[in-house]
Amino acid sequence: MLWYKSWLETRWRFLIGLALLMCSTAGVILIHPRLMALMPMADTIDPVGELGQRIKESVDLSRTYRGYVWSQLFRQNLTQMGTLFAILLGTGGLFSYSSGGAALFTLSLPASRNRVVGVRAAAGLAEWLVLAFVPSLLIPMLSPAVGEAYGVGDVLAHSLCLFVGGSVFFSLAFLLSTVFPDLWRPMLMACAVAVVLAIAGQAFREISRYGVFGVMSGEDYFRTGALPWLGLVVSVAATTVMLYASALNVARQDF
Amino acid sequence: MLFRPNPTSGVPLYLQLMEQVKHAVETGALRPGEQLPGIRPLAEELVMNPNTVAKAYRELEHEGVIELRHGAGAFVAASARAKKVTDKLRAGQAIVAAAVERLHARGVTDEEIRRLFEAELAGLTKPGGHRE
Amino acid sequence: MSDPLIIEAADLRKDYGHVEALRGLNLQVPVGSIFGFLGRNGAGKTTTIKVLLGMARPTSGRVRVFDLPADVPEQSVHIRRRTGFVSEEKDLYDSMTVEEIVRFTAAFYPRWRADLEQRYARKFELPPDRKVKALSRGMRTKLALLLALCRGADLLVLDEPTSGLDPAVAEEVLQALVAHVAGEGLTVFFSSHQIAEVDQIADRVAIVDHGRAVAGGLLEDLREGYRRIQLVFDGEAPAPVFQSPGIVRVGREGRVITVLTSSDADRVLDEARLLNPVSVDIVPVSLKEIFLETVTAED
Repeated sequence: MLWYKSWLETRWRFLIGLALLMCSTAGVILIHPRLMALMPMADTIDPVGELGQRIKESVDLSRTYRGYVWSQLFRQNLTQMGTLFAILLGTGGLFSYSSGGAALFTLSLPASRNRVVGVRAAAGLAEWLVLAFVPSLLIPMLSPAVGEAYGVGDVLAHSLCLFVGGSVFFSLAFLLSTVFPDLWRPMLMACAVAVVLAIAGQAFREISRYGVFGVMSGEDYFRTGALPWLGLVVSVAATTVMLYASALNVARQDF
Repeated sequence: MLFRPNPTSGVPLYLQLMEQVKHAVETGALRPGEQLPGIRPLAEELVMNPNTVAKAYRELEHEGVIELRHGAGAFVAASARAKKVTDKLRAGQAIVAAAVERLHARGVTDEEIRRLFEAELAGLTKPGGHRE
Repeated sequence: MSDPLIIEAADLRKDYGHVEALRGLNLQVPVGSIFGFLGRNGAGKTTTIKVLLGMARPTSGRVRVFDLPADVPEQSVHIRRRTGFVSEEKDLYDSMTVEEIVRFTAAFYPRWRADLEQRYARKFELPPDRKVKALSRGMRTKLALLLALCRGADLLVLDEPTSGLDPAVAEEVLQALVAHVAGEGLTVFFSSHQIAEVDQIADRVAIVDHGRAVAGGLLEDLREGYRRIQLVFDGEAPAPVFQSPGIVRVGREGRVITVLTSSDADRVLDEARLLNPVSVDIVPVSLKEIFLETVTAED
């Protein structure tokens, strides 16, 4: 029943996220032909300065379908929106005042706090898993519609990176929710961290592939075909530590 | 027929319940041999603690007003004993009525009369006196 | 104490930062009693209940429920398996419907009593499809009570069960409690500052003030033990010196000395007569007065 309660708490965030990510994915794919038609115009861009360089780089990536999918979806839309929804799914928790109140009711049930926290984390991560995999599975399904092909293996690799990297933000929001009883502060603080990391990633392009967004977008895999093992391991470790700390917080809290 | 005792009157609840039963026997609302409500249903109806009802029943049995038949319930005691109680109460009532009339004649108010009786019953207004 | 104790607390202390909510509370609740826990707001009633149920951890002291340590989380789960609880705010999941929250709660208790669920759902007239947040205060309390009563619990813990209820609903709640105790043989531990309802259904009480138990025991014993003695003197009343152990308060005003004692009224009277009063009055003391006297004695 704790699973059901977790589902009730997060179902709208999950469903809306799923819808948005799927629409975004489908949109990017289906618009591909039209963008390709505009390609010749891109050749006329003069790469002036930093900004010009970056635009040219982005355009160059899109010359291949694989590059297009990576730069538009995995690096951009799915990572950005995915981060937001990973945070949303991690926020709240069955003991926070936001879950329809009633922390005392939940605490009066014969379920240990660890179990309650564990179920909520597992349910949230399961939802995030779906968000990380299902929209991207649209890519191999819809690509033939625009005359292209995309391997399921690539999708799975990227989705794995997206899931593992995004779990870091999930567990950050989760941990913050055990510190602050309201919904807003954990959410906004986690988003602030994401924004800061994103800006740092833009500023320090050379090492951005080693940052969390680099892991989420699977940049290593795109460029070299090898999964970013180090990044994945570090992400899993960070996620585990933060979830463990969340359980500790809840265990020692006085309600 | 039995109504809820008043917790704020200062008289223990079980005593109030006992008085009600005795009054019911005396006025004939409860006849000898008739069954009284069970402890639990009565506690539920009057919204009282079942132990309090049980205590009242025990004391009533001790005074011979009722009989507790194991497994069957509580019954008003057979005529002779019940009648003895009602006679005693009726005589007592006459004495109280006479005393109240005399006190009223002296200008003692009802509230003062009540206090005098309570003090007397606490048994300690007499010099060196102790409760019976 | 011949009856086994279902709740036992010894020298229980709980600090919230610098605030001492419980300062050495002692509590003994025997099995099968209806135990009233009286105290002013902020006296420590809710804190005690939270400690009993593992919602807050005590700073020091001993606390056991069902003879299990309530401050050990794994044991606390076992305690809660056999305990029904209604919080002061009638904490429930607002977004669920009545039916949903009943099913949700039932899933946690293998001893859930479907027969009681039917009975109370009918008796309390709870509409199954209505959302909890749309229920009136009285309905909400009754729902919370249903959820607590149907768990097949051996102990009910209620924090101010009738607060905010109109007299008719309050009486319904008390009646359900009495009926349940009589029928199922469980123990009820409820906190309240409504003296009348404690008077009505409790057989034992504890009065708590400033985090400590200041009076308690069988309600009958309290009523029979506490007496107020008033002594009137011809001239100015003498300085009162009483050796009796049970004296709670002695007051002197002009020609009158008033003594409140919790026991041994006979001894007090013997001592009082030595002072040669003109008149001696002795009256029983209601639970309300006992409460008011024992909680303000500390101020």
